[in-house]
Amino acid sequence: MSMLEARHTTKAFGSLIAVNDISLSVAPGELRAIIGPNGAGKTTFFNLITGFFPPTSGEIILDGRNITRLSATQRVKLGMARTFQITEIFPELTVHENVRIGVEAASGYSLHMWSSRADATRVRAGIDEILTLTNLTTKADRLVGELSHGDQRAAEIAMALALKPRVLLLDEPTAGMGEQETYQVAGLIRRLHKNSNYTIVLIEHDMRVVFNLADRITVLTEGTMLADGTPQEIAANPAVQAAYLGTAE
Amino acid sequence: MLQLVLFNVTNGLIIGAFYVLMALGVAMILNLSNVINFAHGNFLALGGYLAFVLIPYTGFWVALLVSPLLVGLLGYIIEQTMVRRVYSRDPVYSLLLTFGLSFIIQDVCRYIWGPNGLPLTVPDSLSQGLSEDLFFITGYRIFMMSIVIVSIVGLFAFLRYTRLGVRIRAGTLDLDTVAALGINVRLLRSLNFAVGIFLAGLAGVLASGQIGLNPNMGDDLLLPAFIAIIVGGVGSLTGTLLGGLLIGVASALTTVFWASAQEAVIYVIMALVLLVRPRGLMGEEGMFT
Amino acid sequence: MSATTTAKPGQARLNGRPGVQPSGRPALPQWTTAAVIWLVLLSAPLWLSLVGGYTALASHVVVMALVAMALNFLLGFTGVMSFGHAAYFGLGAYGAGLTLRYLSDSTWFAMLNGILLGGIAGTLLGILICRRRGVYFAMVTIAFGQIFYYIAYRWDDFTGGYDGLRGFSRQPLTFGPWTIDIQGNGTLFYYFVLFVFGVCIALMTFLLRSPFGRTLIAIRENQRRARFLGISVDKHIWLSFSISCFFASTAGALYALLNNFADPTSLHYNLSGVIVIMVVMGGMRSFWGPLVGAAIYVVLQDYISSMTVNWMSFVGLLFVMVVMFFPRGILGMLQRRPST
Repeated sequence: MSMLEARHTTKAFGSLIAVNDISLSVAPGELRAIIGPNGAGKTTFFNLITGFFPPTSGEIILDGRNITRLSATQRVKLGMARTFQITEIFPELTVHENVRIGVEAASGYSLHMWSSRADATRVRAGIDEILTLTNLTTKADRLVGELSHGDQRAAEIAMALALKPRVLLLDEPTAGMGEQETYQVAGLIRRLHKNSNYTIVLIEHDMRVVFNLADRITVLTEGTMLADGTPQEIAANPAVQAAYLGTAE
Repeated sequence: MLQLVLFNVTNGLIIGAFYVLMALGVAMILNLSNVINFAHGNFLALGGYLAFVLIPYTGFWVALLVSPLLVGLLGYIIEQTMVRRVYSRDPVYSLLLTFGLSFIIQDVCRYIWGPNGLPLTVPDSLSQGLSEDLFFITGYRIFMMSIVIVSIVGLFAFLRYTRLGVRIRAGTLDLDTVAALGINVRLLRSLNFAVGIFLAGLAGVLASGQIGLNPNMGDDLLLPAFIAIIVGGVGSLTGTLLGGLLIGVASALTTVFWASAQEAVIYVIMALVLLVRPRGLMGEEGMFT
Repeated sequence: MSATTTAKPGQARLNGRPGVQPSGRPALPQWTTAAVIWLVLLSAPLWLSLVGGYTALASHVVVMALVAMALNFLLGFTGVMSFGHAAYFGLGAYGAGLTLRYLSDSTWFAMLNGILLGGIAGTLLGILICRRRGVYFAMVTIAFGQIFYYIAYRWDDFTGGYDGLRGFSRQPLTFGPWTIDIQGNGTLFYYFVLFVFGVCIALMTFLLRSPFGRTLIAIRENQRRARFLGISVDKHIWLSFSISCFFASTAGALYALLNNFADPTSLHYNLSGVIVIMVVMGGMRSFWGPLVGAAIYVVLQDYISSMTVNWMSFVGLLFVMVVMFFPRGILGMLQRRPST
């Protein structure tokens, strides 16, 4: 039984078909990478899955449940967490405060105008756990807006983790990063995958990250799925090589 | 009864046409630069006052053309020196800026020309009514409507067929791409702003011929302009056109049945639109909604 | 729509605009600042006349500070721009005035009605407004604000129309055997105003420190991220708007009591703009900023309007200066970044 499944999903904007009949299935605990040239429809596909807009046709199933008609907020509540190409965080709050917003949201406290001692303790425990997991404990009191890209991305992932997600969707997590930071973020993702067993779907351009981390790879080009398989299969696939791997990244 | 309704519908279309002229100016500036021009009504008044100053020297017809051009020029200068500085910031600042300009222009008009009403002399040829029964359709009103219609048509033609107009439209849809094509976006915004202000000045000259001049004459047109945009749909100039006419006629017809509600009715229409179709009559989904 | 936000991939957009530096911590009341401010406020009647002020002016400052802080709840802490807040202020004033004129002799009852009138109106309108975003939201708030202006203006049998509502005055407060003569004694009335102000501030502080308050700040910082954490952004904005309107109408009720008068200008969008400039001038992101802004504005306006009939130009000039040269406001400029 898959954790996340897209069935024949299509998204058309007028006459422009951005996503054309894509079907894929991600197993629980799997790390799936989605790759493809720019404009292949990867982010649009993510937007479909996370509920930015409804598909023109097709369905999206999360852990057995059909979520096609649900709003983005509803999908988040069902366990779908996402990070964005341009890091979306709360810049003028500290790391601790950023994660706290996530934990409080996940605990259903966002509308509470008071806070009991028990609530506060539970929240603090949740925050500490996530900070440890993402190696941000030492930076907890710094403003996220002032951190390095790598740390900002880690903070964004930390917030996503606060939601106790069933699946983590990461849109180009290493975008715009240098060697060191890419290594840092990739390491975090690997830990989440191997140690904590999260189901992760990843859009990436950096092939080293993709081939190092992914269990399976899906290749998109011009809105359609070109290939889908293990890293070895994809690397050996001549069509993929021609369409994508051969061109400069 | 028929005459009464006809009278009011005519009034409604005339006032609606003014709402449209105002609203189009506000909308152009809003759509391209994301700025709500609070001072629009004051530029309108300024247009009227400048015509008042010019008429003794140049006569009505020349003033009709020159006054809006001068006001538009002022708008251009203001955009270049002040408005452009706040584009990249939180929208609250552009609102405050135009708010402040509104106060200043209003008070300057009051200072120079006094707080009381002044008449604007209009050529005699325009003052006759059409007939005994249709006395309210004076030559001036026909003239006013014609100029307004010509301006509106002219504006749409400008946006459709001239290079500058097409660039402005493209800019409202995707300014990044327009910039990437090498077009001078700063100049585009300035010119767009100037065109919007020109329309306000023109409306001012026309209106003063009908109702006379006073420093606050634009105030009663500003909010209806906003509402015309909201009702018609943000981002759509055709929508703004329809919105303005709709609220104009609605307001005029209301005076027949419940005179005190004539302003309130346009707000009620806006509330209904927001409830039932928040993007407005012709607005696009997802723009601010 | 056409705002250019081309950030490099990966780099977080700070408040949606690339390259903008954080302007410092959003300050929730620190004890020292609060203590100093309360000291100044409580002692005002003692030193006011020495600096050329008078008690009613101080009361005016506190009332405007309250409405400015009410707006800041929405603008500075939730990140949502309402340009029509005068409507709820004005409704508070009319609610209190009309009660004293037609219904009862009780100041408390008048206050209650004022607060409820503005607050409930805001809550209901908020439902229509809370889904809109950006400048569209601002336009809608302005537009709705004007409805009440026209109602007050037109319904002149009841409200006194353009000339305003007269024929009422604040009544002494009675608690059993004790009477506090806020009617005759301006200083006592000042302390009454300060008391109400204090209660409101306490409530605001409490709310801002709660999970709800933190969520509002998160919404200010990044609406998209808030939405993608499962936060119901629209509902939060609506609640914040509603709360803000209740505080604004409280200020309005006090205003009517202060002047024994209510008129349509207290409902007009010109006042809305003034409230915004007070917030911005004092510092949008700071808790006490609006108080500072209100103090400066009220005193300045009082002074200038006694000197020249063209005070409006000066007010306009003030707006322009603040926007161009002091956008972060006074407390905003004084705020230092925390050393890390």
